[in-house]
Amino acid sequence: MIPSWILDIFAAVMLVVAAVSAARLAVARPWQRGPRPAALADIDIAHLLMAIAMAGMLASGLRTLPDGAWEVVFAVMTAWFAYRVTRDAQASGIRALAGGHCAPHLIHAGAMLYMFVAVAAPAAHGTGGMTGMGGGLSGMGTLGLPFLAFLFALALVGYSIWDLDQLSGPGTSGHYSLAAARVAPPGPVLAGVGATARPGAAASVAVAEPAGPSLAAETAGEAPAVPPASAPADGTGVLAPWVATGCRIAMGITMAFMLVIMI
Amino acid sequence: MSEIATAGIRPARRGSLAAGAEAARDAPDARRLLQLALAGVWLLDGVLQYQAFMFSKDFTGMLSDTASGNPAVVASPITWNASLVQHHLVLLNAIFATIQVLLGIGIAWRPAVRVALAASIAWALGVWWFGEGLGMVLTSDASPVNGAPGAVILYALLAVLLWPADRPGRVAPFTAARAVGAPVARALWLVLWLSLAWFALLPGNRAPQALHDMIAGMADGEPGWLAALDRGAASLVAHQGLAASVVLAIALVVVAAGVYLPARYVKGTLVLAIVIAAVIWVFGEAFGVILTGGGTDPNSGPLLALLALAYWPVRTAVTAPVAATDEGTAAS
Repeated sequence: MIPSWILDIFAAVMLVVAAVSAARLAVARPWQRGPRPAALADIDIAHLLMAIAMAGMLASGLRTLPDGAWEVVFAVMTAWFAYRVTRDAQASGIRALAGGHCAPHLIHAGAMLYMFVAVAAPAAHGTGGMTGMGGGLSGMGTLGLPFLAFLFALALVGYSIWDLDQLSGPGTSGHYSLAAARVAPPGPVLAGVGATARPGAAASVAVAEPAGPSLAAETAGEAPAVPPASAPADGTGVLAPWVATGCRIAMGITMAFMLVIMI
Repeated sequence: MSEIATAGIRPARRGSLAAGAEAARDAPDARRLLQLALAGVWLLDGVLQYQAFMFSKDFTGMLSDTASGNPAVVASPITWNASLVQHHLVLLNAIFATIQVLLGIGIAWRPAVRVALAASIAWALGVWWFGEGLGMVLTSDASPVNGAPGAVILYALLAVLLWPADRPGRVAPFTAARAVGAPVARALWLVLWLSLAWFALLPGNRAPQALHDMIAGMADGEPGWLAALDRGAASLVAHQGLAASVVLAIALVVVAAGVYLPARYVKGTLVLAIVIAAVIWVFGEAFGVILTGGGTDPNSGPLLALLALAYWPVRTAVTAPVAATDEGTAAS
C-alpha cells in the first residue's frame, strides 16, 4: 500500500498547477479580444482540467466530477489535441508529431482518458465521484492493458525530460527563454529560431517578420516567445511560457507516477 | 546529428551569426540526447520506486535475497542494509524514490548536469552493492540474460562516458570517447561485453534447461501476450542450454571486439549489440518485470542499447579545443 501522504503531496502539486493555470486564464482573459490568441488558451484549460482531475484521483477528498463526466471531458480533449496535432503536421510536416507542443498535450489527454476508462472493474464500482480511481490508487486497483500504461508513462517521462532540457537551455531565443519573454521589441521580431529547438531540428536561419506572435510559437500552441509590442503584459509574469512548461513537466511526472502505480 | 563544437561560443553576442549559433546550441548534440535518455531512465526508476510493492516486506526480502551466494564481506552489508530498510521502510523507500527522481531531473536540467551525473555514479554504486548484490557477478547465478552485471552499474558507466567534458584537441570517433578518450572507452566496452560472454558460459547457465527455466520463469504475473512470448521463447531453447549459451557467448565476443574494427564493421556489431539487448530485454527480462507492478527499473536491456548508441561512429566529431566552461556546453 502506498502511504497516503505521498499521494497527498502529488495531489498538492496538482492543486498548485490548477491554481497557476486558472491564474493564467484569468490574466490572459481569452474570452475577450486581445493580443493573446484565444487558441493558446486551450493549453491552460487542459492543464486546469487535468490537474483538478488528477488531484481528485490522488486524494479522495478532492473528488469533483463523476468518472463518466471526466471520461467525456478527456475524450473531447483528446480529440481536440489530435486535431491540433494533425493541423500542425500538415503545416510543419511529420516533425510536429515528435516535437510540436500539441503532441505532449495529446499524450497527456490520452493518458487521462486511458486512466479513467481502463481502471480495473473492482474499482469502477464506486458509488459516485471518483471513488473508483481514488480507491484504485490507494487500494491497489489496476489498469487494464498495462503495456499501454507503460508506453504512456515512457512518453510522459520523455516529454518531461525534454521540456526540462529546453527550459534550462542556454540560448536566449528558445521558446521558454525568460529573456525573450520579457522583451517586447517595437519593430520586427525574429521568428523561427525558437522552432529549431525541437527534436531533430537542425540549424535554421531566423527571418524577420512584422511584429506579432511568432509563427513558431503560435503553431506550437504556447505563448509567443517574443510577444507583440502592443501587449506588454503578455508573456510575462504568470503568462511567461516557462510557467506553462513548468506546469506541463509537473503534470507529466505526476501522471507517469499514477500510471506506474496503477499497473 | 549535429556534432558541432560549441565551446567558446557565447550566447547571442554576435550579430549575424547569433541566430545560427543559437540554433546549433539549442538543438542538443548526440551526447546531450544520450544524457537525456539516461535522465529519462533515472526518472522512470524513481517513479517505479514509488510502487506499492516497494513499500511492502517483499521489497526488503528482495534486497536481502541478493546477499545469497555472495562472499561474506559483500553479503554482510547487504543484510545489514536490508534490515535497516525493513525497520524504516516507508521513509527510506520514499527517500530512495525521490533521490532517483531528482537524479533524472538534475541530469535533464542543464546547469545541474555535472552534479547530477556525479551523484548518479555514487548512487548507482551504492545500489549496485546494497540493492543488486554487485549484480551477482561474484556468484554462480550471473547471466547476461537476467541482467548481469547489474543494470545500475551500467547507469554509472554511462554517466562516466557521457560526462560533459572534451579532451582538448582530440577528435573523438564516437560519443563515448569524448570525455575519456577512445582507448579507455573501447577498453570499457571490451571488458563489459567479454564479461557478459563469460557469464553466459558459467556452468549454471549452460545446463540443458538453464536458459529455458530462466525465460519461462519470467512469464509469472506478466500479461497474457508477454507470458505467451516468454513461454514460446523458452520452448525454443528447451534442452538446448549448452548450444544456446555458446551461440550467445560467440555473439557477445563479436560485439566486444567490434569497436576495434574499421568503422563500417563497427556499425554492424553495434546493431548486433542492440538486437541482443532487445532480445534480452523482451525475453530474458520481460521489460524489467515492470508490467507485474514489481519492477524497480527497466533492467539492463535498454541500458546496453543506450551504451551501443554511445559508441556509434560519428562523421564529424570535433571536440572542443579547450574544456567547456559555460552552462550550455557543460550540458553537452
